[in-house]
Amino acid sequence: MRGHVYSVAGPLGVFALWELVVRAFGVPVYVLPAPSAIAKKVVADSALMLDGLAMTLMEATVGYAVGATLALAIAIAFILWPRLERVGLPALVALNSVPVVAFAPVALLWFGSGPGSKIALVTIAVGFAVFVNAHQGLRSVDESAANLLRSFGAGPLRQMAMLRIPAALPAIMNGLRVAVVRSMIVAIVAEMLAAFKGLGATIFESTQQIDFLRAWAAIAVASAASMAWYGVVNWIDRRYVFWR
Amino acid sequence: MANGTADIAAPILQLSNLSMTFESAHVTVVALQDIGIRIGRGEFVTVVGPSGCGKSTLFNILAGLAEPDAGAEIRYHGETKRALELLGQVAFMPQRDLLLPWRRVVDNAILPLQVEGMPRAAALKRAEPLFGEFGLSGFERHYPQQLSGGMRQRVALMRTFLFERDLTLLDEPFGALDALTRSLMQRWLLEVWQKHQRTILFITHDVEEAIFLGDRVLVMTARPGRIKLVLEVPLARPRPSSMLTSPEFIALKRQVLAAIEEESVKSFQQTAAD
Repeated sequence: MRGHVYSVAGPLGVFALWELVVRAFGVPVYVLPAPSAIAKKVVADSALMLDGLAMTLMEATVGYAVGATLALAIAIAFILWPRLERVGLPALVALNSVPVVAFAPVALLWFGSGPGSKIALVTIAVGFAVFVNAHQGLRSVDESAANLLRSFGAGPLRQMAMLRIPAALPAIMNGLRVAVVRSMIVAIVAEMLAAFKGLGATIFESTQQIDFLRAWAAIAVASAASMAWYGVVNWIDRRYVFWR
Repeated sequence: MANGTADIAAPILQLSNLSMTFESAHVTVVALQDIGIRIGRGEFVTVVGPSGCGKSTLFNILAGLAEPDAGAEIRYHGETKRALELLGQVAFMPQRDLLLPWRRVVDNAILPLQVEGMPRAAALKRAEPLFGEFGLSGFERHYPQQLSGGMRQRVALMRTFLFERDLTLLDEPFGALDALTRSLMQRWLLEVWQKHQRTILFITHDVEEAIFLGDRVLVMTARPGRIKLVLEVPLARPRPSSMLTSPEFIALKRQVLAAIEEESVKSFQQTAAD
């Protein structure tokens, strides 16, 4: 309970200080608007904000789901078929060493300025984050536990289902947690490059139109969404991976 | 065999010429050398020896997890087998309890049944009457992290017993328990063994435990592991704990200790020389 109090008190304190500084020194809006002004703007522009949020969240969650599923499937396949791992792992590591944003122009070229290109980029970003963690988790299972299952007559598939996947869940959840933030960042950055709709597009356009308050409002909405989503993943982790 | 053991009719397991060598780039370690063992149906055989004598390696081979050097003969139920063919044929309990933290006590106990493909409901029905006997009544829905060491060990034993095989291998199951819990568990294990008529091969480094539990005690040598002494334990069963101080028991203990001491000194010198 005490932890909850601190985790609320911290951000509140920052906001209060921020508000105070902006008012006391009369900081102009184009440098830094006050939190209260941003909140008011979010309410005033709520239709636009919700519209953008819906698009960005859709791109981020679809990419997240596809990327995480692919990553888990590949990690499991690598453990089940070491030969596949020997061929596939170096290729994945090489791909992963290129920052995702570098693929953005290509993604726009291939999938257009609509949500397709954002989903593709999020898929890649999430996929690597989840893959690295899942692969590590599946691999570092206690050998004696695996041997015990073998002595009961369990083949590779049974060992995977009854031991490796549950044992790797803490690592997989870590990957899924990191991936939340990544997916929002990538979706928003990609929208800034080219998009018809979305929080990234709103931020970009508002800055172009010198409407800094609106840009800040979109930023606030994006962070709130990101935090809420992170909270959900955290809750699932605590609820279902209780033994870590 | 080094010792004139009474021949056991129709042994369940027979090992002869069994050696195991581990080779790496720099060193070759002979873990086991010329092991010969016969174990009869329903027997309780204990194995004692200094640490590093290859007891656990022997168990890994018998559980089908490692293949010994060529030339070894393993006969299970009279049939010659490769070690790998023993996978799934022998109930094996390793030193650590290895309970899965995401499974409740019941679900840990029925793990081998589920591995065999039995549906959970049927497996639970099968396990249900055993909880009382294993001292776990009321703890079925707990998670392993909520149990004491002695209870965790009983869950692991129950899991091993539910994997009904003709031969049960127990690797120092009570090694980590305090003396009091351990002696309770020993008497309890004897009861379970007598009731279920299992054949047990039991590793320990506790001489008293080896004699108290076993029909026969096998004393192993330090690296390379060999059978140094096979000792019949002619003590009547059931064995009360007062037996531990009887002259017969002490005489047996003296024999085993003498054999082990010789070995421990050797092992110590070996380690010092390494």
